[in-house]
Amino acid sequence: MMIQCQQVSKSYYKGSTVVTPLQALDLEVPKGEFLALMGPSGSGKTTLLNLLSGIDSPTSGSLIIAGANISTLKQRELTAWRAKHVGYIFQLYHLVPVLTAFENVELPLLLSGLSKAERRERVHTALKLVGLADRHDHTPAELSGGQEQRVAIARAIVADPPLLVADEPTGDLDRDSATRILELLRELGTEQSKTIVMVTHDARAAAAADRTLHLEKGQLLENLQTT
Amino acid sequence: MLPLSYAIRNLLRSKSRLAQTVGGSALVVLLVMAAVAINQGMSRVLSASGSPNNVILLGTGSEESVQRSEVSENTTGIASASIPGIQEILGVRAVSGEIHFMNYISSDDGSRAQALIRGVSPAILHVHPEVRLTQGRFPAAGEVMVGRLAWRNLGLKQDRLKIGTSITLNDQTLRVVGRFAAPGTVMESEIWAAIGDIRVVAQRETISCVVIRLEDPEDFSEVDLFAKQRLDLELSALRESDYYGRLSEFFSPLRAMIWITVSLIALGAVFGGIHTLYAAFASRVREMGTLQAIGFGRTTLLLSLLQESTLACLTGTLLASTLAMLLLDGLTVPFSIGTFSIEINSTVALIGILSGLLLGIIGVIPPAIRCLKPALPTALRS
Ligand SMILES: Nc1ncnc2c1ncn2[C@@H]1O[C@H](COP(=O)(O)OP(=O)(O)O)[C@@H](O)[C@H]1O
Ligand SMILES: [Mg+2]
Repeated sequence: MMIQCQQVSKSYYKGSTVVTPLQALDLEVPKGEFLALMGPSGSGKTTLLNLLSGIDSPTSGSLIIAGANISTLKQRELTAWRAKHVGYIFQLYHLVPVLTAFENVELPLLLSGLSKAERRERVHTALKLVGLADRHDHTPAELSGGQEQRVAIARAIVADPPLLVADEPTGDLDRDSATRILELLRELGTEQSKTIVMVTHDARAAAAADRTLHLEKGQLLENLQTT
Repeated sequence: MLPLSYAIRNLLRSKSRLAQTVGGSALVVLLVMAAVAINQGMSRVLSASGSPNNVILLGTGSEESVQRSEVSENTTGIASASIPGIQEILGVRAVSGEIHFMNYISSDDGSRAQALIRGVSPAILHVHPEVRLTQGRFPAAGEVMVGRLAWRNLGLKQDRLKIGTSITLNDQTLRVVGRFAAPGTVMESEIWAAIGDIRVVAQRETISCVVIRLEDPEDFSEVDLFAKQRLDLELSALRESDYYGRLSEFFSPLRAMIWITVSLIALGAVFGGIHTLYAAFASRVREMGTLQAIGFGRTTLLLSLLQESTLACLTGTLLASTLAMLLLDGLTVPFSIGTFSIEINSTVALIGILSGLLLGIIGVIPPAIRCLKPALPTALRS
């Protein structure tokens, strides 16, 4: 199992009221699965992704991701854990505007202790994989949205983490670009056996996944949907 | 670690903000360097002016100011005859009776200025061996010799007070016959005339002080004893170095004023810098969140932001140092008892660099903390 969530709850305090987007949630994702998460806006999809990726910590429950119980890790340990185990893909790409595509993709490797030559090799491979081998020196402003997202995917996979999480990765893209991104994610699942959890609003995007779950009222509902 | 190029490119993101940071820090560093150099220059001239071998005999009660001091004229002879341990040069004892006098003089072209005038006898060259006649000769009656920097203190052009010109002092016309140097001392800003002329001009019966040069600084006690025993002469003995040390203290409120002004300007610049950085960093909260999501720790990010601002401030420091070398180094500044020179030396440069660094650090920490403070999920949503 790549992901084992048991009785995971997350509450926020908004003034004096408590919001609990996730309530005693259980989830298991086997290694290599491409899972789509759907659900209405505000249902807690981003919150769940944040927990799975060690961006946030649960209020209660246990989270075993890639063999580690991350619900007990301290902030600093979580940061180091994320660098090795998770690639995060954002809806709005979140590329660093002053860095080139190459430098953006290189960022996770700066934490790895690889030599400059090894880093260049890996960045090159990652950019080639997303079809942007010829865009090394472009800054985000010089790329289209679809290209930016592909750079972001290259950045997410360059350090070879076992888990990829994507929060509405096609939400801001036109249909053709979205299709390319989904194909790319599928490939990463099948060819590199990455475990992928993708949040989406789009049923067509969810159709690219192996399995789709619906998040509603803090719970996950199975919905057997096949490609 | 994030590469330095990340910091540099972030700096170049907004040219106007960069210009503001570099310019602001350059201004502050330049002011700090100027303040340090002024302080140093003033201290330097005052400490160089006092020789440990010299003792000044002043009138009791006027230990603060030689110009206000009155000493009976025969003190010179009595001191010379009765104090042991006085240096002898070619059989002459190094004892110099002097009148220190401040008054307006007019130079040839009619310009008037307040001058530091000393009525002297050739014996002064024995108590101040650092004095060198660079041109002409020692003044006789009706003549003066001028210090190398007197023009500066008088606010005249450098080519004034040449040999052959004359000055007018209380209707007396005195011819300039010599020029002298006494590197680094207040004497260089003075005009020296024969003591007899000055007695007439100043309309006084007494002289201001007697300066004695001792063979051995330890013999100060002998001079002190003399001053205390000869109650009739109403004398007070002061080491020359102590006299100038006290003068130095007299100027400490002025120095405090300089520092307060510089500090206030620096404070204004820091607050201005913090203010612009708050605005600039507000738009980078999400970027900081993204980098944390990738696995960079907050400390690493803080260091990178520090790198950015210290880099900008050090560029300002470099600019300030260049300006200081070009505009301030070697400048002579007149003050009430002489002229000091501004030297941009390694101490001044070091303090400048440290203040530049400090500016960079103090200015960036509050905005950086605010930028890195939001919880990671919140930062990513912004
Ligand atoms: N940091 C937070 N503080 C308070 N409430 C939050 C915070 N993050 C999310 N929430 C709340 O939790 C709920 C789920 O949010 P989110 O996970 O972003 O939903 P989704 O991604 O499905 O749209 C929402 O009601 C949201 O307002
Ligand atoms: Mg969301």
